Amino acid sequence: MEPFVRATFNIFIRHLYRYLGNEVECEDVLEDVYADIWEDPSHLRDIANDRHLLRTVYLYYMRKRLREVYRRMNRNLSLSQADLDNLVAPELGLCELTAQAELKQLLHRMLGKLKARERKAIEMWMQGMSNRAIANQLKTTVGAVKMLEFRTILKLRGMLKDYTEED
Amino acid sequence: MANTNREIQELLADYAVALRDGCLPGFLKSLTRDEAQSIKGSEDFWEATEVVRLVNSAGFGDKAVMPDVGLFISRVDAAIVSRQKKAKASTRTRSRNHANL
Repeated sequence: MEPFVRATFNIFIRHLYRYLGNEVECEDVLEDVYADIWEDPSHLRDIANDRHLLRTVYLYYMRKRLREVYRRMNRNLSLSQADLDNLVAPELGLCELTAQAELKQLLHRMLGKLKARERKAIEMWMQGMSNRAIANQLKTTVGAVKMLEFRTILKLRGMLKDYTEED
Repeated sequence: MANTNREIQELLADYAVALRDGCLPGFLKSLTRDEAQSIKGSEDFWEATEVVRLVNSAGFGDKAVMPDVGLFISRVDAAIVSRQKKAKASTRTRSRNHANL
């Protein structure tokens, strides 16, 4: 198991980080994912490349474990179980399996196509600034910043769609 | 009574901040029944969450402090050993039950 863990650890943990945003939870989930793979590696036969490996591991091992992360707290939530599952462990989307480096390049290109104010808001958000701090910088209200971010994200979504169609 | 439910753009912004700061449970708990309903019915929200995940990954994936793989392997080994023990214990119980029949 050790060579497999060493070879795949970075790819898997970075992928999990997309859904959890928290290193400690990523580690806990990944520990179970590797133990599940050890118990039943049958889905990992005939893997062609890294992308295929990530897709298979996500669909057959990670998703199940991701869904378990917040299942216990569901009785205290207004969200239905299906919506909670979709939010925590969604279907694979347009660019969900894109490698980190490729994703950065793509995002850089897309940000270049945005209006200056939109780009500034997203870049500040990516630097870790709060919406209030962004609002102060842009000399506007927090509500307006949230609206701006929402519109910009939908715009980025449109660009992503175009990119995947080109691909 | 004033409507204090958040609009869909506010919900997305709050989801994005929660994901960025690694505190999704706080966001999930903060949702009211009406907000959960509006999330359910908003295609824009679901489409936007995918982009938020990608932006989050591109922006912070590299900055995250990832654990040492050597230490992590020992955790995986321990998890595997514990599963082996559980499997052995359950077969032993099953065979004992067979013997009692």
